[in-house]
Amino acid sequence: MTAEVNSYYPDYATETPKQFQFSPYADNGGSVVAIAGDDFVIIGADSRLSTGFAIYTRDQNKLFSLSKSTVLGCSGCWCDALTLTRILSARMQMYEQEHNKVMATPAVAQMLSTMLYYKRFFPYYVSNILAGLDTDGKGCVYSYDPIGHCEKATYKAGGSAGALLQPLLDNQIGLKNMQNVTPAPLTLEKALALLKDVFISAAERDIYTGDKVNINIITKDGIKEDTFELRKD
Amino acid sequence: MFLTRSEYDRGVNTFSPEGRLFQVEYAIEAIKLGSTAIGICTSEGVVLAVEKRITSTLMESTTIEKIVEIDKHIGCAVSGLMADSRTMIDRARMECQNHWFVYNERMTVESCAQAVSNLAIQFGDSDDDGAAMSRPFGVAILLAGIDENGPQLFHMDPSGTFVEFDAKAIGSGSEGAQQSLQEMYHRSMTLTEATTAALTILKQVMEEKLNSTNVEVMTMTPDKLFHMFTKDQVEEALKKVTSLEHTKGDVSTHSQSEVVSTDS
Amino acid sequence: MSILSYNGSAMVAMKGDNCVSIATDKRFGIQGQTISIEFPKVFQMGPHLYVGLPGLATDTQTVVEKLNFRKNLYELKENRRISPKVFASMVSNLLYEKRFGPFFVEPVIAGLDPITAEPYVCNMDLIGCINEPEDFVVGGTASAQLFGMCEALWEPKLKPDDLFETTSQALINAFDRDAMSGWGATVYIIEKDKITVKDLKTRMD
Repeated sequence: MTAEVNSYYPDYATETPKQFQFSPYADNGGSVVAIAGDDFVIIGADSRLSTGFAIYTRDQNKLFSLSKSTVLGCSGCWCDALTLTRILSARMQMYEQEHNKVMATPAVAQMLSTMLYYKRFFPYYVSNILAGLDTDGKGCVYSYDPIGHCEKATYKAGGSAGALLQPLLDNQIGLKNMQNVTPAPLTLEKALALLKDVFISAAERDIYTGDKVNINIITKDGIKEDTFELRKD
Repeated sequence: MFLTRSEYDRGVNTFSPEGRLFQVEYAIEAIKLGSTAIGICTSEGVVLAVEKRITSTLMESTTIEKIVEIDKHIGCAVSGLMADSRTMIDRARMECQNHWFVYNERMTVESCAQAVSNLAIQFGDSDDDGAAMSRPFGVAILLAGIDENGPQLFHMDPSGTFVEFDAKAIGSGSEGAQQSLQEMYHRSMTLTEATTAALTILKQVMEEKLNSTNVEVMTMTPDKLFHMFTKDQVEEALKKVTSLEHTKGDVSTHSQSEVVSTDS
Repeated sequence: MSILSYNGSAMVAMKGDNCVSIATDKRFGIQGQTISIEFPKVFQMGPHLYVGLPGLATDTQTVVEKLNFRKNLYELKENRRISPKVFASMVSNLLYEKRFGPFFVEPVIAGLDPITAEPYVCNMDLIGCINEPEDFVVGGTASAQLFGMCEALWEPKLKPDDLFETTSQALINAFDRDAMSGWGATVYIIEKDKITVKDLKTRMD
């Protein structure tokens, strides 16, 4: 029976064709957290760049200062993040030259959304969180999905440990499921302490988050940089 | 005139030996045939007023639209070839919407003028997918708008050159009107004063008698933004023009008597 | 998606000072559709022993019956209460018997030793690999969120009242960020001479 079937095919017939697939994306991990206050906004990102169980570097800054009052935090496919931020800076420079003014944070936020959506069917595989001061000097945070959905918030966690961190921020800043508490304006000190705490938690359980946190503190006086160490295993 | 014509008249892209682009200059001449439009910029807002030439009693005057909305915060008055103006208005509107779409903010008036200017100087250009525009636009534009830099008035001519003005007149009566604006304009003008001034000047330069059907008025203010005057509002504004003329003599005598009293 | 996240669940157990807690959500759903909001997933297996079975709901029910069977047999044969540690081994053994056709549950166990009253918590994967940490264990579709919450909120030597607050806050805030679990919670605080069961009202969306 088998011999009969085989005899239908010429003797040079081979087995089934081998398929090779190109995978255009990498997941390089990383987490970003941003917290906004009335007159400030802070954004932090861990500095571990990894792929699977390997670490490329323990010292990769994932925060991009786009202007004196706007910072973008990127995680996900790092090559896409690099390309996206380069195009973003180019677009911002063109805007500055065309309209004779520095792009305001809400304008950057909207432009980023359209830029991501323009690659709707071959997206930049990046989890973006944009932090900055708006035209009134108030802190604001925008978070994105890879195809341009944009949401304005006062606090947001994103990237590989986003799911671990977000409920904690809901509880501590959003005061969710709290009784008998009066919402008080968030101070910079409290925001910084919380940011460090959540990153320590994330580094405990997420293997793609660790090594160090780069922090940008954005106020009307400009951007101040800070770092602090995380566990390195 | 006939003698000065040369082959440099024909190409829109060809400089004459004296360094002139005749077609552009002719286009600038062409807009001097258009109906008069006046714009005045005050600290309270901007006012635009234009005359509508009703050439026949059978004409439906409301179908002549010489003041249009570009966006909520930018309006414009045109003079010259109306058909050409539609193309430019379409572009201006498109640019404003695109700016809102990409940046989620209002386009500045200057950027809008720049965008229209980019279209206006494309005459003679050709690219892969189409024929070139054969001639410059025969249109002059007054752009009135409000953005983060406050109320602004821009003027643009067929060459695409745009300049900001405190007060500007375009069209057939522009020379006389500009002269009058020069005299009447001052920095502390209120918007109501500016509206009355614009209509007064329009009345002086128009051939027909000024009434609520042959004039269009628009104001651009921080709270109401683009606002086209209704027929009633135009009539209200016209009343002030006539009353102003009646009291003109009184005002001058009054001020004179004041001077006298201070002297004594 | 995995069959483990077909019905949705969130579960956490924590060690305290001479006490342990175990808490669960109450939702039973089929993917996005919520079917019931009073579905038990934590079961009492002794005076100071509880087991939670997050995962596929049908297996939750089957496994708890099988466990009751084996636990009863053990207690009759041995004529003594089963200790949490032994119970954990029993669960592990039951699951590993189905190594190649597993029950889709990832059990969470919390209890006090019947003799020493030593607090004990553990969890395991669906084929019975036991994890016995010093602090807390989590399970279900909201496990990532629970890890983040517990890692920040938990501290050693929590008294029963504080343990209740910590466990409840960890669970509720975690499952509020998980579409597959929530819709009310039950928290058990197990002390040597007292067991407190509290039903918590939460947002229902």
